[in-house]
Amino acid sequence: MKKLFTAAVAAAAAIALAGCGSGGTTDPSNVSPTGEVKPREISWLLSRPADGAVINIMKKLADDYAKDHPGFALNLITTPDRPSYIQKLETLAAANKLPELFDTDATPFAQQLAKQGKMVDAEKLLKSLDVYDDYRPSALDYQRFDDGSLHMIPFQFELEFIWYNKALLQKAGVSAPKSLDDIPAMCTALRDAGITPIAIDGQDQWPLERYVAYQPFREAGPEFIQKLKKGEAKFTDPAGQKTVEWLAALGKAKCFQDGFSSQGYSDAQNQFTSGQAAMYNIGTWELPSLATDKLNPDVRDDIDFFTLPTTEGSVTKANEFVSPSGIGMAVNAKTYDPLVSDFLKFALAKYPAEYAATGALSPTTNVETAVPANATPLYKKALEMANDLGDKQAMPWDTQLDPTTNGRLQQELVLLVQGNITPEQFTTTMDSTIAQNAPKFFK
Amino acid sequence: MLPNRSRLSVLVFLLPPLLLYGIAVLFPIMQSLFLSFFSWNGISDMEFVGLENYVRMLTADDIFWRSFFNALGYLAICLVLQLGGALLVASLLTSMRRGRELIKTLYLLPAVISTVAIAFLFVRIYSIEPVGLLNQLLHWIGLGALERPWLSDINTVLAAVSAPEGWRFTGLYMLIIYAALLSVPQELEEAARLDGASRWQLFTKIRFPHIMPVWITTTIMATTYGLRGFDIPYLMTNGGPGQSSELLTTYMYKTAFTSTDFGYASTIAVFIVIECLVAVGLILFMLKRKADA
Repeated sequence: MKKLFTAAVAAAAAIALAGCGSGGTTDPSNVSPTGEVKPREISWLLSRPADGAVINIMKKLADDYAKDHPGFALNLITTPDRPSYIQKLETLAAANKLPELFDTDATPFAQQLAKQGKMVDAEKLLKSLDVYDDYRPSALDYQRFDDGSLHMIPFQFELEFIWYNKALLQKAGVSAPKSLDDIPAMCTALRDAGITPIAIDGQDQWPLERYVAYQPFREAGPEFIQKLKKGEAKFTDPAGQKTVEWLAALGKAKCFQDGFSSQGYSDAQNQFTSGQAAMYNIGTWELPSLATDKLNPDVRDDIDFFTLPTTEGSVTKANEFVSPSGIGMAVNAKTYDPLVSDFLKFALAKYPAEYAATGALSPTTNVETAVPANATPLYKKALEMANDLGDKQAMPWDTQLDPTTNGRLQQELVLLVQGNITPEQFTTTMDSTIAQNAPKFFK
Repeated sequence: MLPNRSRLSVLVFLLPPLLLYGIAVLFPIMQSLFLSFFSWNGISDMEFVGLENYVRMLTADDIFWRSFFNALGYLAICLVLQLGGALLVASLLTSMRRGRELIKTLYLLPAVISTVAIAFLFVRIYSIEPVGLLNQLLHWIGLGALERPWLSDINTVLAAVSAPEGWRFTGLYMLIIYAALLSVPQELEEAARLDGASRWQLFTKIRFPHIMPVWITTTIMATTYGLRGFDIPYLMTNGGPGQSSELLTTYMYKTAFTSTDFGYASTIAVFIVIECLVAVGLILFMLKRKADA
């Protein structure tokens, strides 16, 4: 049956990766293994775009390294689709077949792996390679677990904005919102003018989950989700109720396009770039499509962005919003040896300059991002936002909650926004789901 | 009774497939049964919990029951489309003089298209922004009031994800039933016609009883395939919105590979196995009784 099929897939994946070496140190805090560097093939299981900058640069760096170390090769196994990737990672972890390097967010599952000593202490590793101080503190903080420990190395740095179409807002007689609480009324005005207020990729679920994080981040700061996921805070709390009511209001004002739950990433982006939707919440990884001459000329001069609005009595500042450093790379403690250490030393020293040259924000501050020749003025404006960030950042909830609660939250959010359930039903369901599942993950 | 030598050769030929079946089907089922008594997330130590998973499944899990009834709805729609559609088309085919091969090929075509392509195709067909085929058709024939995002509406999504699966295999079952209908003896039909039997009587008294064994097999096939339905709903809606198109299979898959609750997922898997066995048993029982009556 289906279980058999997935078991077969898992087995095939396990066999494919079984060639990865074993042995070496198993002490995750020993970041400087002694001994000879013996070149071999190492693997990196990752979840990044197949032809993206990170993969292209790391391929090139691995080739350079192999010139001096014949026999070395970096085998990059990418699964860009995140849910599929997570399933692959968890299955391999269960089979104890993780490769030398693997991508993960700072999820509760990853924290369990770290607690079992399966991931090298990244803070010590970066310090031993003498690059720790080059990293943006917020890029590292994004990768940290709640206890402050660092086990993943960031390769990106992104800022998430709400992009908007000035002409459409003007047509509806509204201006960019000063407060999060202004958005429902804005949506109503835009709908009345026949404009789709917000384009959203409902199929992938994380974009809608961003919205549930906003109000609590403003109302109670980043601590709310840290407490909520453990069951120490509840959706019945003021910050929780505020977000539930706000999402219901967004739904009632028909903020998102009709049938958003079955529309994908490119559907949403097309609606915005074709001038049908007025707003679109996305990060700087889309700068090449939104702030260069690749953008549809009809809307190019009308596009601008604003950062996450604050609210009255907000405890976080306007320059504090979602600024993720992307999925991080963990180093498998079991297969960590002089070769892996030597390669990381080589690659991490050269990576930032190469990455910044592609026009993306480096997770480090020691390089300057090159603005592409075909960029619009927005490109530079967006990059400059990175220089003036506050100390706090809004964490995406999908990296914080235990997987069962996360899955249920994603489902219930759609129902809440579509008006299929009441805010009360949402609150009860989610609080009992957390109470049931959190203890298993955060004991 | 076979002579000894040929009994041995029968055994020799039957043993390899039997072994393969044991390793590929029975062993995983047994392993699921074993795992269903444990709490295990893949990286923790396995903890024996006895019947706790079963108690939770049957008494405390609202999504489980929701998925179970969704799965029955999905099965019903698939069966009506597949068997009903197949029987209808096959019957019409037998009375056609020309173009049978063309019609047969056209109906069979969806069965050879990849599942992923079918899922994406139907996501577009059901779409409302931009307007998909279904909503456009409704608009053209003046039923604009019925236009809706079929996959986002909790009242229509289950039917919307069931239809592609039904549509897809109608042709396959049509072929099987058509072959059976061709084997109905012509002289019997002619004799009945001479006795003044109507078309309906011809069908119910002669044709259908004659194809009964094939009908039982196709019903069992369609039912077990329907109960195992997974790929199209998973690809089209991932069980959403909410749990409106969640089936037992998609729920089991998520429990295992998203929630990493392998023990509980195995419990659901065991339930699906039992459910399939019960369904097949029921079909055999009902149809046998009807045949004997």
